[in-house]
Amino acid sequence: MTDSVGASPLAVRALTEAPHVMTGQEMLMGNAYRPWPARITSIRELTAHEKLFEFRLTDERVREAFVHEPGQFVELSLFGVGEVPISITSSPTKQGFIELCVRRTGTVTEQLHRMQCGDIVGLRGPFGRGFPVEQMRGNDILVVAGGLGIAPVRSLINYIHDNRSDFGKVTIVYGSRTPADIMFRDQFEMWRHRKDFDLILTVDEPDDTWDGEVGVVTEPMKKLDINPANTFGAVCGPPVMYRFVVEVMREKNISYDHIYMSFERHMKCGMGKCGHCQIGHQYCCIDGPVFNYWEAKNIQGSM
Amino acid sequence: MLYRVMDKSQLPALVRGFMESYEVVAPVKRGERYVFDTVDSPDQIALDYPQTASSAKKYLFPPVEAMMRFDARANLVQDFVQEVKPRVIFGAHACDISGFNRLDLALAQGKYTDPYYAARRAATLVVGISCMPTDTCFCQLMGADEVQFGYDLFLYDIGDKYLVSMSSVEATNILEACCEIAEATDDDRRAFRLATRRHQAAFNPDIPHVEDVPMLMDVFHFDPFWDELGGRCLSCSACASVCPTCYCFDIRDVLQEDSDAGVRERTWDACTSPDFALVAGGHNFRPTGRDRVRHRMYHKLNGFMVNHDRMLCTGCGRCVAACKADIDPIQVLRFFDEKGARDDR
Ligand SMILES: Cc1cc2nc3c(=O)[nH]c(=O)nc-3n(C[C@H](O)[C@H](O)[C@H](O)COP(=O)(O)OP(=O)(O)OC[C@H]3O[C@@H](n4cnc5c(N)ncnc54)[C@H](O)[C@@H]3O)c2cc1C
Ligand code: SF4
Ligand code: SF4
Ligand code: FES
Repeated sequence: MTDSVGASPLAVRALTEAPHVMTGQEMLMGNAYRPWPARITSIRELTAHEKLFEFRLTDERVREAFVHEPGQFVELSLFGVGEVPISITSSPTKQGFIELCVRRTGTVTEQLHRMQCGDIVGLRGPFGRGFPVEQMRGNDILVVAGGLGIAPVRSLINYIHDNRSDFGKVTIVYGSRTPADIMFRDQFEMWRHRKDFDLILTVDEPDDTWDGEVGVVTEPMKKLDINPANTFGAVCGPPVMYRFVVEVMREKNISYDHIYMSFERHMKCGMGKCGHCQIGHQYCCIDGPVFNYWEAKNIQGSM
Repeated sequence: MLYRVMDKSQLPALVRGFMESYEVVAPVKRGERYVFDTVDSPDQIALDYPQTASSAKKYLFPPVEAMMRFDARANLVQDFVQEVKPRVIFGAHACDISGFNRLDLALAQGKYTDPYYAARRAATLVVGISCMPTDTCFCQLMGADEVQFGYDLFLYDIGDKYLVSMSSVEATNILEACCEIAEATDDDRRAFRLATRRHQAAFNPDIPHVEDVPMLMDVFHFDPFWDELGGRCLSCSACASVCPTCYCFDIRDVLQEDSDAGVRERTWDACTSPDFALVAGGHNFRPTGRDRVRHRMYHKLNGFMVNHDRMLCTGCGRCVAACKADIDPIQVLRFFDEKGARDDR
């Protein structure tokens, strides 16, 4: 049977001190349940409930081996409290640091929100299948996000920004509950003047200052002028959103296999073992979390 | 496959041979039931058991297992070695060995290896024993009535002798050191063929053989049958705990009292438990008994098949006995069998 790296076959180690002969990749894969220490290097408050954390893995070999694709996630550990799956919201082009945008919602995320720069957390990953950036190259991209769904697609958005000439027109339709819930607004606004970039913000509950769209993301989507032959969709949001968004994308004639969605499910291991994230015959954590609409249509209970 | 024959009277010598260097786990009788347990003498073993109440998967995948130690204050993993006891599972039926092979596909293989399972599997020898089907056995419908790999020795009962399939050096060395083994004669070969024939003929004919089960699981996914079947589920998860192939688990941190030290451990979990698919914000992807029971059956009879070309059910019949609500794969096969037959509709 398979040997576990750094251990005799008769014992399993958590590997505190990895043997010096190991590469970073071997360290990450040897016991993929083992979180690696990462230091919080910056914290930014985004809304009343969400913060943007930046982390740096402390071990150099692990840091260099940790290379992600937009749409992948990590498992974040606070020992004694628990472990949670969180999308990587930074682009792979940002090297040496990992950004996570975390909503305060329960035990682990509450505790994380109380932490400070310099504190240590455990990270393991990157896990899952992200957005197919190679295939998307050269095409227009229509990003549709609702609420916290902006976190995984921001990795893609930033990736496109850093490789701007490789992609066509980028349109972002981003829905939030109130104007105060909009995340990364200043960053997205900065690009707004560009001809090849369109940003449409919509909120459910506008305030006096709001001059953007009001209502669900599908309304402004319907007005968009899209070239279906060279457009890829990237969608992430609350479970109810997907069906309506893909319906509009299909009305715009975007191909089934050009509509990509990132799904959320309950996850524990993140590596296709514990069964928690199963959707139909697939595992959200390794077969996804990003699936195209054709795949999703073939998975019982996906949408 | 290499095989020899040995006289049945030599069995205790073989068991004692294993005991010298391994912990031996075998079927034993407890009241009316049979269970796998550690034995310290060959006479405790009940090799002609019909079926054990639960499977031997706990020796490869314990109900509670420490994964690592940690220091909660520093938020760091601490050095930790999980020792794995070298063991022999002595007297596993073909369905259970097939169950181990299916667990291998899920836990040891694929993109990631589960190092805890893989270490236990590597440290465990398996000695199989041929069997006779009970009323609730349907392993022949699940491709688990015979195994070609995943064991070290397999003993086929051919009357006064065993025909022994020898598949590992480690076990063959012990066999050769403890027992007289001989080349099979023509009579032995005929006896083997007779035994396999008897085995094949003994399956309960009332459990229907249904073709295209994976496709039927999709075609009838929204049939009211699932409301009825799943509606009576008590969420006790007894089915998953006795099952040789259910491998879902939870991970939790346990702090030692008044201390920052703790253990991250995993525990058996099951998709039949109500909050298994619950996510932050309170959305439950499988909120009803219908959704959960249908998912459990779907993963066994379709999902695993789609990915690994075999069912995640070995037809061992244990859940048939364990479930107080009469929910088991046989009910699903019966439903398909009756669908479209005669005056149904
Ligand atoms: C692929 C993926 C990406 C995600 N990305 C983000 C992100 O970028 N930002 C963000 O804020 N949140 C994200 N989430 C949701 C996040 O995982 C949950 O908010 C978090 O698990 C809640 O943990 P808690 O301990 O604070 O909540 P509690 O309600 O106290 O505990 C719930 C426990 O259930 C388990 N659990 C596993 N998966 C989930 C889940 N999906 N939802 C709820 N509980 C779960 C965890 O062990 C968690 O500790 C993502 C989830 C998935 C599956
Ligand atoms: S199917 Fe039966 S054994 Fe399984 S959880 Fe439901 S009631 Fe319990
Ligand atoms: S589902 Fe039931 S019959 Fe099938 S392997 Fe599991 S316990 Fe045995
Ligand atoms: S999260 Fe454990 S299998 Fe996907």
